Amino acid sequence: MTPMPITTERVFELIETYGAEPGAWPEDERDAAAALLASEPETFAAALKAARALDALLMSESLPEPSSVLADAILSAAPAASRKRKGFLGHLGSLVFPQGARWPAGAALASLMMGLVGGYAYASTGAGYDQVEDAYYAAFGYDSNETWLSLE
Amino acid sequence: MSGVSELDQITRAAGGDRAAQAALVNRNMPIVFRVAYRMLQDRAEAEDVTQETFLRAWKALPDWQPKAKFSTWACTVALNLCRDRLRKKKPVLMDELPERVDTALKPEEALQSQQALQGIEDKIAALPERQREALSLCALEGMTNIEAAEAMDVSVRALESLLARARRSLRASLSAEQEGAMR
Repeated sequence: MTPMPITTERVFELIETYGAEPGAWPEDERDAAAALLASEPETFAAALKAARALDALLMSESLPEPSSVLADAILSAAPAASRKRKGFLGHLGSLVFPQGARWPAGAALASLMMGLVGGYAYASTGAGYDQVEDAYYAAFGYDSNETWLSLE
Repeated sequence: MSGVSELDQITRAAGGDRAAQAALVNRNMPIVFRVAYRMLQDRAEAEDVTQETFLRAWKALPDWQPKAKFSTWACTVALNLCRDRLRKKKPVLMDELPERVDTALKPEEALQSQQALQGIEDKIAALPERQREALSLCALEGMTNIEAAEAMDVSVRALESLLARARRSLRASLSAEQEGAMR
């Protein structure tokens, strides 16, 4: 609300609306109204007295307290912390195990991965094949494939 | 709440942080309960409204937009729930009101006795609904005029009118009581 210029009438309105305590008045009018009030104390004395009496009665209001179990009931319905997977591995895990990880499936996948990795590592080294071939011909008493071919 | 903004607290509460949820409840539940109680004048009903308000809050927190303070939002929800309940209640006719006067006393004595028992709570309860809302939020819960107007979905000018009428009614009621006591 655009602050209105402070007038005597407006200060009476503030007292009647918000009470005698300037702290309860709208912030944008408070200082100007308090200054006017201080400059003309007699003008507002009766209004302030009546407002103070009502303010005091309002402050004496006594209400029952909510029962002690209410806060517990409210908190028991509060959202629980969600289980979060973080990072790339978390997302990968969600894709591979959309229903969550299970031990047999996990073990089977781990075995498969170990086989694939081991096989690839062995196959990628050229010496592996030659060693196997030499072992094969050695079983027939020859040094290598070349020796076997020279006898034919 | 030092060092922790309300938005931060709400974000943590929405994520399931129990401490943040408890802090939000401890800070705002009493206000919501008192506002509801002043409107409904019934502790059990006020507690139901308070609980329902927070159930709605838990659902609203993940998409929370910091347009208003949590307490303002919660009071808006609570007031709407109270209005719904008040609308559903059957109008109580004057001759159906429970008799609170001690019938062993003479009528004049009984009247004075009844008045003496009445506190400011009864006078607030007797105010029209919208005046009671304005007084409750602004004068009794310390909301600013802008926050209270927002919670009630009225202009600040309309809020001021309701507040001024509420205070005038209370003063008139108190004056009548004092005059009655002096006779």
